[in-house]
Amino acid sequence: MLLELQNVHVHYNKIAALQGVSIQVEEGDFITLIGSNGAGKSTTLRAISGLEKPSSGEISFRDQAIHHLTPDRILKLGIAQVPEGRRIFKDLTVEENLQLGAFTRSDKVAVRRDLDAVFGHFPRLLERRNQLGRTLSGGEQQMLSIGRALMSDPTLLLLDEPSLGLAPIVVEEIAKILCDINGKGVAIVLVEQNADLALELARHGYVLETGSIALQGDADSLARNEHVKTAYLGI
Amino acid sequence: MELFLQSIINSFIQGGFFALWAVGLVLVFGVMGVVNFAHGELVMVGAYTIWLLHSQYGMGYIPALGMAILLVLLIGLFMERFLFRPKREDPLGGLINSIGVLFILQVAALIVGGTGPAKQVAPPFSGTLIIEEIVRVPYQRLFSIAVCIAALSLLWFFLTKTKLGWSLRAVALDREAAALQGININRTSMIAIGVSGALAGLAGALMAPISNIYPHMGHNVIITAFIVTIVGGIGSLPGAVFASVLYAFLHTFITAYFSGTIATMSGLLIMVLVLIVKPTGIMGRRISE
Ligand SMILES: Nc1ncnc2c1ncn2[C@@H]1O[C@H](COP(=O)(O)OP(=O)(O)OP(=O)(O)O)[C@@H](O)[C@H]1O
Ligand SMILES: [Mg+2]
Repeated sequence: MLLELQNVHVHYNKIAALQGVSIQVEEGDFITLIGSNGAGKSTTLRAISGLEKPSSGEISFRDQAIHHLTPDRILKLGIAQVPEGRRIFKDLTVEENLQLGAFTRSDKVAVRRDLDAVFGHFPRLLERRNQLGRTLSGGEQQMLSIGRALMSDPTLLLLDEPSLGLAPIVVEEIAKILCDINGKGVAIVLVEQNADLALELARHGYVLETGSIALQGDADSLARNEHVKTAYLGI
Repeated sequence: MELFLQSIINSFIQGGFFALWAVGLVLVFGVMGVVNFAHGELVMVGAYTIWLLHSQYGMGYIPALGMAILLVLLIGLFMERFLFRPKREDPLGGLINSIGVLFILQVAALIVGGTGPAKQVAPPFSGTLIIEEIVRVPYQRLFSIAVCIAALSLLWFFLTKTKLGWSLRAVALDREAAALQGININRTSMIAIGVSGALAGLAGALMAPISNIYPHMGHNVIITAFIVTIVGGIGSLPGAVFASVLYAFLHTFITAYFSGTIATMSGLLIMVLVLIVKPTGIMGRRISE
Protein backbone atom coordinates (compact mmCIF):
# COMPACT_ATOMS: atom_id res chain seq x y z
CA MET A 1 0.00 0.00 0.00
CA LEU A 2 1.35 3.42 -0.99
CA LEU A 3 -0.74 5.60 1.29
CA GLU A 4 -3.12 4.58 4.02
CA LEU A 5 -5.27 6.68 6.33
CA GLN A 6 -6.73 4.73 9.21
CA ASN A 7 -9.54 6.23 11.22
CA VAL A 8 -8.06 9.74 11.06
CA HIS A 9 -9.59 12.48 13.22
CA VAL A 10 -8.63 16.14 12.88
CA HIS A 11 -9.88 18.94 15.12
CA TYR A 12 -9.67 22.69 14.61
CA ASN A 13 -9.56 23.91 18.19
CA LYS A 14 -12.38 21.77 19.62
CA ILE A 15 -14.38 21.38 16.42
CA ALA A 16 -14.05 18.09 14.56
CA ALA A 17 -13.33 18.47 10.85
CA LEU A 18 -12.50 14.80 10.21
CA GLN A 19 -14.15 12.07 12.26
CA GLY A 20 -12.57 8.79 11.34
CA VAL A 21 -11.48 8.91 7.72
CA SER A 22 -9.92 5.78 6.19
CA ILE A 23 -8.50 5.89 2.68
CA GLN A 24 -6.21 3.59 0.74
CA VAL A 25 -4.10 4.46 -2.28
CA GLU A 26 -2.10 1.85 -4.22
CA GLU A 27 1.10 2.53 -6.15
CA GLY A 28 0.20 4.33 -9.39
CA ASP A 29 -3.44 4.61 -8.34
CA PHE A 30 -5.78 7.48 -9.27
CA ILE A 31 -8.38 8.16 -6.62
CA THR A 32 -10.74 11.04 -6.08
CA LEU A 33 -12.26 12.52 -2.98
CA ILE A 34 -15.54 14.29 -3.62
CA GLY A 35 -17.79 16.15 -1.24
CA SER A 36 -19.56 19.44 -0.77
CA ASN A 37 -18.30 22.62 0.91
CA GLY A 38 -16.87 22.03 4.35
CA ALA A 39 -16.97 18.23 4.08
CA GLY A 40 -13.30 17.98 5.07
CA LYS A 41 -11.61 17.37 1.71
CA SER A 42 -8.91 20.01 2.17
CA THR A 43 -8.41 18.96 5.77
CA THR A 44 -7.74 15.40 4.59
CA LEU A 45 -5.04 16.56 2.15
CA ARG A 46 -3.59 18.94 4.73
CA ALA A 47 -3.33 16.10 7.21
CA ILE A 48 -1.54 13.90 4.67
CA SER A 49 0.99 16.68 3.96
CA GLY A 50 1.57 17.34 7.64
CA LEU A 51 -0.04 20.79 7.73
CA GLU A 52 -2.55 19.51 10.30
CA LYS A 53 -1.81 16.96 13.00
CA PRO A 54 -4.45 14.24 13.46
CA SER A 55 -5.84 14.08 16.98
CA SER A 56 -6.12 10.32 16.52
CA GLY A 57 -5.73 7.72 13.82
CA GLU A 58 -2.77 6.89 11.65
CA ILE A 59 -1.40 7.96 8.27
CA SER A 60 1.25 5.78 6.71
CA PHE A 61 3.22 5.96 3.50
CA ARG A 62 4.70 2.69 2.28
CA ASP A 63 3.98 1.25 5.74
CA GLN A 64 5.87 4.00 7.53
CA ALA A 65 3.87 6.23 9.90
CA ILE A 66 4.10 9.84 8.70
CA HIS A 67 1.48 11.74 10.70
CA HIS A 68 4.04 13.05 13.18
CA LEU A 69 6.39 14.40 10.48
CA THR A 70 6.73 18.03 9.39
CA PRO A 71 5.59 19.02 5.87
CA ASP A 72 9.13 19.30 4.51
CA ARG A 73 9.97 15.74 5.54
CA ILE A 74 6.75 14.40 4.06
CA LEU A 75 7.55 16.14 0.78
CA LYS A 76 10.95 14.47 0.80
CA LEU A 77 9.31 11.06 1.09
CA GLY A 78 7.62 11.75 -2.25
CA ILE A 79 4.23 13.32 -1.45
CA ALA A 80 3.63 16.64 -3.19
CA GLN A 81 0.53 18.81 -2.91
CA VAL A 82 -1.12 21.31 -5.22
CA PRO A 83 -2.93 23.25 -2.50
CA GLU A 84 -6.37 24.79 -2.57
CA GLY A 85 -6.20 28.25 -4.13
CA ARG A 86 -2.95 27.46 -6.01
CA ARG A 87 -0.72 29.30 -3.53
CA ILE A 88 2.03 30.11 -6.00
CA PHE A 89 4.73 32.58 -4.91
CA LYS A 90 3.41 35.69 -6.61
CA ASP A 91 6.46 37.89 -6.20
CA LEU A 92 8.79 35.25 -7.61
CA THR A 93 9.17 34.44 -11.28
CA VAL A 94 7.68 31.37 -12.93
CA GLU A 95 11.08 29.73 -13.10
CA GLU A 96 11.92 30.55 -9.48
CA ASN A 97 8.59 29.01 -8.44
CA LEU A 98 9.42 25.84 -10.35
CA GLN A 99 12.97 25.70 -8.97
CA LEU A 100 11.56 25.95 -5.44
CA GLY A 101 9.41 22.92 -6.22
CA ALA A 102 12.73 21.10 -6.58
CA PHE A 103 14.15 22.75 -3.43
CA THR A 104 15.15 19.49 -1.75
CA ARG A 105 16.75 17.94 -4.82
CA SER A 106 20.45 18.21 -5.51
CA ASP A 107 20.76 16.31 -8.80
CA LYS A 108 20.96 19.26 -11.20
CA VAL A 109 20.73 17.14 -14.34
CA ALA A 110 17.53 15.41 -13.25
CA VAL A 111 16.02 18.72 -12.12
CA ARG A 112 16.85 20.25 -15.49
CA ARG A 113 15.16 17.31 -17.21
CA ASP A 114 12.03 17.65 -15.06
CA LEU A 115 11.94 21.39 -15.72
CA ASP A 116 11.92 20.67 -19.44
CA ALA A 117 9.18 18.09 -18.90
CA VAL A 118 7.03 20.66 -17.04
CA PHE A 119 7.58 23.17 -19.84
CA GLY A 120 6.60 20.36 -22.23
CA HIS A 121 3.32 19.86 -20.36
CA PHE A 122 2.71 23.60 -20.07
CA PRO A 123 4.27 25.50 -22.96
CA ARG A 124 2.68 28.71 -21.69
CA LEU A 125 4.86 28.55 -18.60
CA LEU A 126 7.91 28.41 -20.84
CA GLU A 127 6.81 31.60 -22.61
CA ARG A 128 6.35 33.27 -19.24
CA ARG A 129 9.32 31.79 -17.39
CA ASN A 130 10.76 35.18 -16.38
CA GLN A 131 7.44 36.81 -15.47
CA LEU A 132 6.30 37.25 -11.88
CA GLY A 133 3.70 34.78 -10.68
CA ARG A 134 1.20 37.56 -10.04
CA THR A 135 1.07 38.44 -13.75
CA LEU A 136 -0.28 35.00 -14.72
CA SER A 137 -3.94 34.27 -15.44
CA GLY A 138 -5.86 31.95 -13.11
CA GLY A 139 -5.35 28.97 -15.42
CA GLU A 140 -1.65 29.66 -15.78
CA GLN A 141 -1.29 29.97 -12.01
CA GLN A 142 -2.93 26.57 -11.63
CA MET A 143 -0.52 25.14 -14.20
CA LEU A 144 2.36 26.69 -12.30
CA SER A 145 1.13 25.20 -9.05
CA ILE A 146 0.91 21.76 -10.66
CA GLY A 147 4.28 22.21 -12.37
CA ARG A 148 5.85 23.26 -9.06
CA ALA A 149 4.53 20.10 -7.37
CA LEU A 150 5.85 17.94 -10.22
CA MET A 151 9.31 19.48 -9.81
CA SER A 152 9.75 17.50 -6.60
CA ASP A 153 9.47 14.31 -8.70
CA PRO A 154 6.70 12.91 -6.48
CA THR A 155 5.44 9.36 -6.15
CA LEU A 156 2.10 10.68 -4.93
CA LEU A 157 0.47 13.90 -6.09
CA LEU A 158 -2.34 15.47 -4.05
CA LEU A 159 -4.49 18.05 -5.85
CA ASP A 160 -7.04 20.25 -4.09
CA GLU A 161 -9.76 21.44 -6.48
CA PRO A 162 -7.51 22.24 -9.43
CA SER A 163 -10.48 22.99 -11.70
CA LEU A 164 -12.00 25.66 -9.44
CA GLY A 165 -12.75 28.89 -11.28
CA LEU A 166 -11.15 27.83 -14.55
CA ALA A 167 -12.62 27.95 -18.05
CA PRO A 168 -13.81 24.52 -19.34
CA ILE A 169 -11.11 24.43 -22.00
CA VAL A 170 -8.38 24.94 -19.37
CA VAL A 171 -9.98 22.25 -17.21
CA GLU A 172 -9.80 19.86 -20.18
CA GLU A 173 -6.14 20.68 -20.64
CA ILE A 174 -5.34 20.06 -16.99
CA ALA A 175 -7.38 16.83 -16.98
CA LYS A 176 -5.36 15.52 -19.90
CA ILE A 177 -2.10 16.32 -18.18
CA LEU A 178 -3.21 14.56 -14.98
CA CYS A 179 -3.86 11.43 -17.06
CA ASP A 180 -0.39 11.75 -18.61
CA ILE A 181 1.24 12.13 -15.22
CA ASN A 182 -0.67 9.16 -13.83
CA GLY A 183 0.31 7.20 -16.95
CA LYS A 184 3.94 7.73 -15.98
CA GLY A 185 3.31 5.97 -12.69
CA VAL A 186 2.62 8.88 -10.34
CA ALA A 187 -0.27 8.07 -7.99
CA ILE A 188 -2.89 10.83 -7.75
CA VAL A 189 -5.40 11.87 -5.11
CA LEU A 190 -7.72 14.41 -6.69
CA VAL A 191 -10.06 16.46 -4.50
CA GLU A 192 -12.95 17.91 -6.44
CA GLN A 193 -16.40 19.42 -6.16
CA ASN A 194 -16.64 18.89 -9.91
CA ALA A 195 -17.66 15.25 -9.46
CA ASP A 196 -18.38 14.59 -13.15
CA LEU A 197 -14.81 15.28 -14.12
CA ALA A 198 -13.28 13.60 -11.05
CA LEU A 199 -15.19 10.34 -11.47
CA GLU A 200 -14.31 10.29 -15.15
CA LEU A 201 -10.59 10.59 -14.47
CA ALA A 202 -10.17 8.48 -11.35
CA ARG A 203 -10.30 4.72 -10.86
CA HIS A 204 -11.65 4.80 -7.31
CA GLY A 205 -13.67 7.38 -5.47
CA TYR A 206 -14.52 8.35 -1.90
CA VAL A 207 -17.48 10.51 -0.97
CA LEU A 208 -16.80 12.64 2.08
CA GLU A 209 -19.74 14.02 4.09
CA THR A 210 -19.26 16.09 7.26
CA GLY A 211 -15.91 14.63 8.09
CA SER A 212 -16.45 10.96 7.36
CA ILE A 213 -16.53 8.68 4.34
CA ALA A 214 -20.16 8.16 3.32
CA LEU A 215 -19.50 6.03 0.24
CA GLN A 216 -16.59 4.53 -1.61
CA GLY A 217 -15.98 2.31 -4.61
CA ASP A 218 -15.08 2.15 -8.29
CA ALA A 219 -15.41 5.49 -10.00
CA ASP A 220 -17.82 3.93 -12.52
CA SER A 221 -20.13 2.47 -9.92
CA LEU A 222 -20.08 5.70 -7.90
CA ALA A 223 -21.04 7.62 -11.01
CA ARG A 224 -24.09 5.34 -11.36
CA ASN A 225 -25.01 5.55 -7.67
CA GLU A 226 -28.37 7.27 -7.10
CA HIS A 227 -27.22 9.23 -4.05
CA VAL A 228 -24.10 10.45 -5.82
CA LYS A 229 -26.13 11.37 -8.89
CA THR A 230 -28.58 13.53 -6.99
CA ALA A 231 -26.13 15.05 -4.52
CA TYR A 232 -23.01 15.58 -6.63
CA LEU A 233 -23.60 15.07 -10.32
CA GLY A 234 -26.51 17.43 -10.74
CA ILE A 235 -28.32 15.09 -13.10
CA MET B 1 26.95 75.79 -0.62
CA GLU B 2 29.61 74.00 1.37
CA LEU B 3 27.07 72.89 3.93
CA PHE B 4 24.81 71.76 1.11
CA LEU B 5 27.44 69.59 -0.61
CA GLN B 6 28.67 68.24 2.69
CA SER B 7 25.11 67.34 3.63
CA ILE B 8 24.63 65.39 0.41
CA ILE B 9 27.69 63.26 1.18
CA ASN B 10 26.59 62.80 4.78
CA SER B 11 23.12 61.77 3.60
CA PHE B 12 24.49 58.89 1.60
CA ILE B 13 26.56 57.67 4.53
CA GLN B 14 23.57 57.96 6.87
CA GLY B 15 21.37 56.25 4.30
CA GLY B 16 23.73 53.28 4.22
CA PHE B 17 23.45 52.88 7.98
CA PHE B 18 19.68 53.33 7.99
CA ALA B 19 19.36 50.66 5.32
CA LEU B 20 21.65 48.29 7.21
CA TRP B 21 19.51 48.72 10.34
CA ALA B 22 16.24 48.34 8.50
CA VAL B 23 16.88 45.31 6.27
CA GLY B 24 17.56 43.07 9.26
CA LEU B 25 14.28 44.11 10.86
CA VAL B 26 12.41 43.58 7.58
CA LEU B 27 13.98 40.17 7.00
CA VAL B 28 12.98 38.84 10.40
CA PHE B 29 9.51 40.34 10.14
CA GLY B 30 9.02 38.95 6.65
CA VAL B 31 10.25 35.42 7.25
CA MET B 32 9.25 34.91 10.88
CA GLY B 33 6.36 37.33 11.28
CA VAL B 34 7.88 38.82 14.45
CA VAL B 35 8.65 42.45 15.11
CA ASN B 36 12.02 42.22 16.81
CA PHE B 37 12.04 45.16 19.20
CA ALA B 38 15.52 44.20 20.34
CA HIS B 39 16.99 44.87 16.90
CA GLY B 40 18.41 48.22 18.03
CA GLU B 41 20.02 46.53 21.02
CA LEU B 42 21.64 44.01 18.69
CA VAL B 43 23.30 46.94 16.94
CA MET B 44 24.32 48.31 20.34
CA VAL B 45 25.93 44.99 21.27
CA GLY B 46 27.92 45.18 18.03
CA ALA B 47 29.22 48.63 19.00
CA TYR B 48 30.04 47.53 22.56
CA THR B 49 31.97 44.55 21.21
CA ILE B 50 34.26 46.93 19.32
CA TRP B 51 34.69 49.14 22.37
CA LEU B 52 35.52 46.17 24.57
CA LEU B 53 37.73 44.12 22.25
CA HIS B 54 39.34 46.90 20.21
CA SER B 55 39.59 49.84 22.63
CA GLN B 56 39.91 47.98 25.92
CA TYR B 57 41.72 44.79 24.98
CA GLY B 58 43.60 46.03 21.94
CA MET B 59 42.34 43.54 19.42
CA GLY B 60 42.65 44.76 15.82
CA TYR B 61 39.60 46.59 14.48
CA ILE B 62 38.87 44.13 11.69
CA PRO B 63 39.08 40.99 13.88
CA ALA B 64 36.93 42.77 16.48
CA LEU B 65 34.44 43.58 13.73
CA GLY B 66 34.33 39.89 12.87
CA MET B 67 33.73 39.05 16.53
CA ALA B 68 30.91 41.60 16.73
CA ILE B 69 29.21 40.02 13.73
CA LEU B 70 29.65 36.54 15.18
CA LEU B 71 28.44 37.45 18.67
CA VAL B 72 25.29 39.21 17.48
CA LEU B 73 24.57 36.43 15.00
CA LEU B 74 24.72 33.94 17.88
CA ILE B 75 22.40 36.08 20.01
CA GLY B 76 20.01 36.14 17.05
CA LEU B 77 20.09 32.34 16.71
CA PHE B 78 19.47 31.99 20.42
CA MET B 79 16.46 34.32 20.22
CA GLU B 80 14.97 32.36 17.32
CA ARG B 81 15.43 28.99 18.93
CA PHE B 82 14.28 29.79 22.45
CA LEU B 83 12.11 32.91 22.23
CA PHE B 84 10.51 33.17 18.81
CA ARG B 85 10.09 29.54 17.76
CA PRO B 86 7.87 28.60 20.73
CA LYS B 87 5.74 31.68 19.90
CA ARG B 88 5.48 31.10 16.16
CA GLU B 89 1.69 31.02 16.17
CA ASP B 90 1.60 34.03 18.47
CA PRO B 91 3.31 37.12 16.97
CA LEU B 92 2.40 39.24 19.99
CA GLY B 93 4.17 36.73 22.26
CA GLY B 94 7.26 36.95 20.07
CA LEU B 95 7.17 40.73 20.22
CA ILE B 96 6.91 40.71 24.03
CA ASN B 97 9.81 38.26 24.26
CA SER B 98 11.89 40.57 22.09
CA ILE B 99 11.17 43.48 24.44
CA GLY B 100 12.48 41.28 27.24
CA VAL B 101 15.71 40.79 25.31
CA LEU B 102 15.89 44.55 24.76
CA PHE B 103 16.02 45.20 28.53
CA ILE B 104 18.37 42.31 29.22
CA LEU B 105 20.88 43.54 26.65
CA GLN B 106 20.70 47.09 27.99
CA VAL B 107 21.42 45.85 31.49
CA ALA B 108 24.22 43.66 30.15
CA ALA B 109 25.74 46.74 28.49
CA LEU B 110 25.62 48.60 31.80
CA ILE B 111 27.32 45.71 33.56
CA VAL B 112 30.06 45.42 30.95
CA GLY B 113 30.62 49.14 30.34
CA GLY B 114 29.52 50.62 33.64
CA THR B 115 27.71 53.94 33.98
CA GLY B 116 29.25 57.28 33.21
CA PRO B 117 29.68 59.18 29.97
CA ALA B 118 29.13 57.60 26.59
CA LYS B 119 32.07 55.63 25.32
CA GLN B 120 34.06 56.47 22.25
CA VAL B 121 36.37 54.49 20.06
CA ALA B 122 39.26 56.17 18.27
CA PRO B 123 38.76 55.70 14.53
CA PRO B 124 41.16 53.02 13.29
CA PHE B 125 41.23 54.67 9.87
CA SER B 126 42.52 58.17 10.45
CA GLY B 127 42.72 61.02 8.00
CA THR B 128 40.18 62.80 5.88
CA LEU B 129 39.50 62.87 2.19
CA ILE B 130 39.27 66.52 1.17
CA ILE B 131 37.76 67.37 -2.19
CA GLU B 132 38.49 70.87 -3.51
CA GLU B 133 38.63 72.25 0.04
CA ILE B 134 34.83 72.03 0.07
CA VAL B 135 33.78 68.55 1.05
CA ARG B 136 35.46 66.56 3.79
CA VAL B 137 34.91 62.87 4.31
CA PRO B 138 36.86 61.09 7.03
CA TYR B 139 38.33 57.81 5.76
CA GLN B 140 36.52 56.02 8.57
CA ARG B 141 33.19 57.05 7.05
CA LEU B 142 34.31 56.12 3.57
CA PHE B 143 35.19 52.69 4.90
CA SER B 144 31.76 52.40 6.55
CA ILE B 145 29.80 53.33 3.46
CA ALA B 146 31.84 50.96 1.30
CA VAL B 147 31.20 48.08 3.70
CA CYS B 148 27.50 49.01 3.93
CA ILE B 149 27.12 48.94 0.17
CA ALA B 150 29.05 45.68 -0.08
CA ALA B 151 26.91 44.04 2.60
CA LEU B 152 23.64 45.20 1.05
CA SER B 153 24.76 44.06 -2.41
CA LEU B 154 25.68 40.66 -1.02
CA LEU B 155 22.28 40.40 0.63
CA TRP B 156 20.58 41.38 -2.62
CA PHE B 157 22.58 38.77 -4.51
CA PHE B 158 21.72 36.12 -1.93
CA LEU B 159 17.99 36.85 -2.00
CA THR B 160 17.55 37.19 -5.76
CA LYS B 161 20.13 34.84 -7.28
CA THR B 162 20.39 31.82 -5.00
CA LYS B 163 17.89 29.06 -4.37
CA LEU B 164 18.35 29.44 -0.62
CA GLY B 165 17.53 33.14 -0.99
CA TRP B 166 14.41 32.33 -2.97
CA SER B 167 13.36 29.95 -0.20
CA LEU B 168 13.55 32.82 2.32
CA ARG B 169 11.36 34.96 0.10
CA ALA B 170 8.99 32.04 -0.42
CA VAL B 171 8.56 31.61 3.34
CA ALA B 172 7.92 35.35 3.68
CA LEU B 173 5.28 35.21 0.92
CA ASP B 174 3.45 32.06 2.02
CA ARG B 175 4.81 29.95 4.84
CA GLU B 176 2.55 26.94 4.29
CA ALA B 177 3.09 26.84 0.55
CA ALA B 178 6.83 27.04 1.22
CA ALA B 179 6.64 24.13 3.67
CA LEU B 180 4.84 22.13 0.97
CA GLN B 181 7.92 22.58 -1.26
CA GLY B 182 10.08 20.87 1.32
CA ILE B 183 11.42 24.09 2.81
CA ASN B 184 12.19 23.62 6.50
CA ILE B 185 10.65 26.59 8.31
CA ASN B 186 12.87 26.31 11.40
CA ARG B 187 16.02 26.26 9.33
CA THR B 188 14.81 29.19 7.20
CA SER B 189 14.01 31.21 10.32
CA MET B 190 17.51 30.51 11.63
CA ILE B 191 19.00 31.77 8.38
CA ALA B 192 16.84 34.90 8.42
CA ILE B 193 17.70 35.87 11.98
CA GLY B 194 21.32 34.86 11.45
CA VAL B 195 21.62 37.25 8.53
CA SER B 196 19.67 39.91 10.43
CA GLY B 197 21.94 39.52 13.45
CA ALA B 198 25.11 39.56 11.36
CA LEU B 199 24.00 42.80 9.69
CA ALA B 200 23.08 44.35 13.06
CA GLY B 201 26.47 43.36 14.50
CA LEU B 202 28.20 44.78 11.46
CA ALA B 203 26.22 48.03 11.68
CA GLY B 204 27.15 48.41 15.35
CA ALA B 205 30.80 47.69 14.64
CA LEU B 206 30.86 50.26 11.85
CA MET B 207 29.13 52.85 14.03
CA ALA B 208 31.44 52.36 17.01
CA PRO B 209 34.29 54.63 15.82
CA ILE B 210 32.00 57.40 14.59
CA SER B 211 29.29 57.68 17.21
CA ASN B 212 28.70 57.63 20.94
CA ILE B 213 28.35 54.21 22.52
CA TYR B 214 25.86 53.88 25.37
CA PRO B 215 23.29 51.32 26.53
CA HIS B 216 20.29 53.14 25.00
CA MET B 217 21.78 53.81 21.60
CA GLY B 218 19.44 51.19 20.13
CA HIS B 219 16.43 53.51 20.52
CA ASN B 220 17.48 55.68 17.66
CA VAL B 221 18.16 52.58 15.57
CA ILE B 222 14.76 51.01 16.11
CA ILE B 223 12.85 54.27 15.58
CA THR B 224 14.68 54.92 12.33
CA ALA B 225 14.25 51.33 11.21
CA PHE B 226 10.50 51.53 11.88
CA ILE B 227 10.19 54.80 9.99
CA VAL B 228 11.96 53.53 6.89
CA THR B 229 10.30 50.11 6.86
CA ILE B 230 6.85 51.64 7.17
CA VAL B 231 7.54 54.36 4.62
CA GLY B 232 9.20 51.84 2.28
CA GLY B 233 6.40 49.31 2.57
CA ILE B 234 6.48 46.71 5.33
CA GLY B 235 8.15 43.58 4.08
CA SER B 236 9.72 45.20 1.04
CA LEU B 237 13.53 45.18 1.18
CA PRO B 238 14.06 47.43 -1.87
CA GLY B 239 11.42 49.75 -0.40
CA ALA B 240 13.29 49.89 2.91
CA VAL B 241 16.60 50.67 1.21
CA PHE B 242 15.03 53.36 -0.97
CA ALA B 243 13.22 54.91 2.00
CA SER B 244 16.47 54.79 3.99
CA VAL B 245 18.25 56.99 1.48
CA LEU B 246 15.27 59.37 1.21
CA TYR B 247 14.93 59.63 4.96
CA ALA B 248 18.67 60.06 5.40
CA PHE B 249 18.54 63.07 3.07
CA LEU B 250 15.62 64.55 4.94
CA HIS B 251 17.22 63.84 8.30
CA THR B 252 20.65 65.16 7.39
CA PHE B 253 19.36 68.36 5.83
CA ILE B 254 16.93 69.17 8.62
CA THR B 255 19.67 68.41 11.16
CA ALA B 256 22.11 70.63 9.28
CA TYR B 257 19.76 73.58 8.92
CA PHE B 258 17.55 73.12 12.00
CA SER B 259 18.13 70.39 14.59
CA GLY B 260 18.33 66.64 15.04
CA THR B 261 15.20 66.52 17.18
CA ILE B 262 13.13 68.29 14.51
CA ALA B 263 14.57 65.85 11.97
CA THR B 264 13.45 62.79 13.89
CA MET B 265 10.05 64.31 14.60
CA SER B 266 9.58 65.00 10.89
CA GLY B 267 10.41 61.35 10.21
CA LEU B 268 7.79 60.16 12.68
CA LEU B 269 5.28 62.59 11.17
CA ILE B 270 5.94 61.21 7.69
CA MET B 271 5.57 57.68 9.02
CA VAL B 272 2.16 58.53 10.49
CA LEU B 273 1.12 60.24 7.25
CA VAL B 274 2.14 57.17 5.24
CA LEU B 275 0.19 54.94 7.63
CA ILE B 276 -2.91 57.07 7.08
CA VAL B 277 -2.62 57.76 3.37
CA LYS B 278 -0.91 54.65 1.97
CA PRO B 279 -0.52 51.99 4.68
CA THR B 280 1.23 49.66 2.25
CA GLY B 281 4.14 52.13 1.95
CA ILE B 282 5.65 53.51 -1.20
CA MET B 283 6.78 50.14 -2.52
CA GLY B 284 4.61 47.72 -0.58
CA ARG B 285 1.78 45.67 -1.99
CA ARG B 286 -1.58 44.96 -0.52
CA ILE B 287 -1.42 41.80 1.55
CA SER B 288 -4.74 40.43 0.33
CA GLU B 289 -5.85 40.10 -3.26
N1 LIG C 1 -8.45 26.83 9.98
C1 LIG C 1 -9.67 26.40 10.37
N2 LIG C 1 -10.15 26.72 11.58
C2 LIG C 1 -11.36 26.29 11.99
N3 LIG C 1 -12.15 25.51 11.26
C3 LIG C 1 -11.74 25.15 10.04
C4 LIG C 1 -10.47 25.58 9.53
N4 LIG C 1 -10.33 25.07 8.29
C5 LIG C 1 -11.44 24.36 8.03
N5 LIG C 1 -12.29 24.41 9.08
C6 LIG C 1 -13.60 23.71 9.17
O1 LIG C 1 -13.37 22.34 8.97
C7 LIG C 1 -14.36 21.77 8.16
C8 LIG C 1 -13.74 21.10 6.94
O2 LIG C 1 -13.12 22.10 6.13
P1 LIG C 1 -12.36 21.78 4.79
O3 LIG C 1 -11.67 23.01 4.38
O4 LIG C 1 -11.53 20.57 4.97
O5 LIG C 1 -13.57 21.46 3.80
P2 LIG C 1 -13.54 21.24 2.24
O6 LIG C 1 -14.23 19.95 2.01
O7 LIG C 1 -12.18 21.37 1.70
O8 LIG C 1 -14.46 22.42 1.74
P3 LIG C 1 -14.37 23.30 0.39
O9 LIG C 1 -15.00 22.50 -0.68
O10 LIG C 1 -15.16 24.50 0.72
O11 LIG C 1 -12.94 23.58 0.14
C9 LIG C 1 -15.31 22.90 7.80
O12 LIG C 1 -16.42 22.84 8.67
C10 LIG C 1 -14.51 24.14 8.05
O13 LIG C 1 -15.36 25.19 8.45
MG1 LIG D 1 -11.31 22.70 0.45
